[in-house]
Amino acid sequence: MSILKEPIIQFDHASFGFPGVLALQDISLTISAGEFVGVIGPNGSGKTTLCRAMLGLMAPLEGHLRIFDCACGELRCHHRAQIGYLPQKGVADRNFPVTVLETVMMGRYGALGLFKRAGLQDRKIALDALAHVGMDTHQNTALGHLSGGQQQRVFIARALAQQPKVLLLDEPTTGLDITTQHNVIELVAHLHKELGLTVLLITHDINMIRSRVDRLVLLKTRLFASGPPAEVLKPDILRQVYGKELVITEKDLVIVEDYHHHH
Amino acid sequence: MLELLAYDFMQRSLLAAATVGGLCSVIGVFVVLRGLAFVGAGTSHAAFAGVALGYLIGWPPLALAILFGLATVWITGWVEEKGRMKLDVSIGILYTTTMALGILFLGLMKTYNAEVYGYLFGSVLSVTSEELRVIGGLSILVLGLLLLFSKELYFIAFDQEMAEASGVPARRIFFLLLTLVALTVVVSLKTVGAILVFAMILIPASTAYQLTHSLTTLTWYSVIIGVSTAVAGVLISATWDIPSGPAIVLLATTIFFLAVLFSPKRQPRATASPCLEPHHH
Repeated sequence: MSILKEPIIQFDHASFGFPGVLALQDISLTISAGEFVGVIGPNGSGKTTLCRAMLGLMAPLEGHLRIFDCACGELRCHHRAQIGYLPQKGVADRNFPVTVLETVMMGRYGALGLFKRAGLQDRKIALDALAHVGMDTHQNTALGHLSGGQQQRVFIARALAQQPKVLLLDEPTTGLDITTQHNVIELVAHLHKELGLTVLLITHDINMIRSRVDRLVLLKTRLFASGPPAEVLKPDILRQVYGKELVITEKDLVIVEDYHHHH
Repeated sequence: MLELLAYDFMQRSLLAAATVGGLCSVIGVFVVLRGLAFVGAGTSHAAFAGVALGYLIGWPPLALAILFGLATVWITGWVEEKGRMKLDVSIGILYTTTMALGILFLGLMKTYNAEVYGYLFGSVLSVTSEELRVIGGLSILVLGLLLLFSKELYFIAFDQEMAEASGVPARRIFFLLLTLVALTVVVSLKTVGAILVFAMILIPASTAYQLTHSLTTLTWYSVIIGVSTAVAGVLISATWDIPSGPAIVLLATTIFFLAVLFSPKRQPRATASPCLEPHHH
């Protein structure tokens, strides 16, 4: 199905990180327009690196990465604005003096470009984005006065205010209670359907997303598996990524130590 | 007090104080929110070293102040960007190095030079018409650039990586901010002095920070506080014959502590309570 659709992000044997310490290695992956993709993998598997790469913040050390048919290095500001991004943590400083509407208006700034001031039309876009996440009645509330779940909604609204083609969410449910986690994922699934957005959702919580995504991408430095959830979430694959592989890594260390002890 | 206003020197000082107060309080908003407080302090000492060198070798002091100030902020920004060390460490090193240079240049001067010390402690009451024109010109430049790039500056103050990810040229805007901080410091040197200019940048924005939850309102509050304390400080200074720099800074500090005491942010907050501030339409 996805073959017929326009490819938006294409990794071609791409590696990222520092020479000698690769966070991601030999990744070949195509994300097509309108897909809802979940990215999973253990801690340190390169999920956030993948995210930064897709935002054009990291160039591949090897291989190629094309975003909106631009080589990563040529990515212009207006291209970046087409990816609405929700970072892993919201704002650290809950006292940062900014209202909900001011926060969402920032989503317009990249899209507007330099030298242009935000006008009434931008304000309307921001208010629409707030309405999409059900926060329109809070436009003048201080961001720091909101609960964690409400803040995530506001940050999703900021991403929407960019009028993006892609929504990229890096562990959007971290630190939220179980009901709020569910609500945030529901909201994302709803936006995917309603606005036809391409959604990339990075998460630890496989159970939360497995029934909602079209495709799961399983990372562990390399691309381990990519396909419909039923194909990726097979016991043997999961054991390899989350269980057996880790055990083997630990064993390896023990064996090396034992080796030194005995010699 | 009113008869004081009839004097030319008094009109010049009030105009200089209001300009510098306004400029420092606007740039202060971004400095406080982006966490660049120490950069302001470092830059002012670097700029002072430039002034001292200017007097020593007979070059224009303000031009060298700008050169030293810019070199300091750019090196600091570059070091932070390369991730070599934290911003406070690199500025700490440059801060003390430039201070050492300043003291060295002062020591190399064979005679006592009151004008140089004027740049260290500030002497708003002795601002000349020509200096006022320089202050005015540079202020218009800095304020113009702040206004032109205000949306990007707010965004990088809030979250620089987020700003970059959403298409704002965040690195360039960050260097623009550092440059504007250096220029502001140089503009303010003569008026409040290298030691106290830092306070003029930090205090009005920090005071406003206590009073509001809105970026726009915060900026306006900061400007009102900055301009009014600068003007009132000069009037107090002239009336009671006390040094102008300390008068301005101590007045601003008093208002800061009052704001901390009566800050609406200190009141217990309910989840998703309406914002405690003037209405936005």
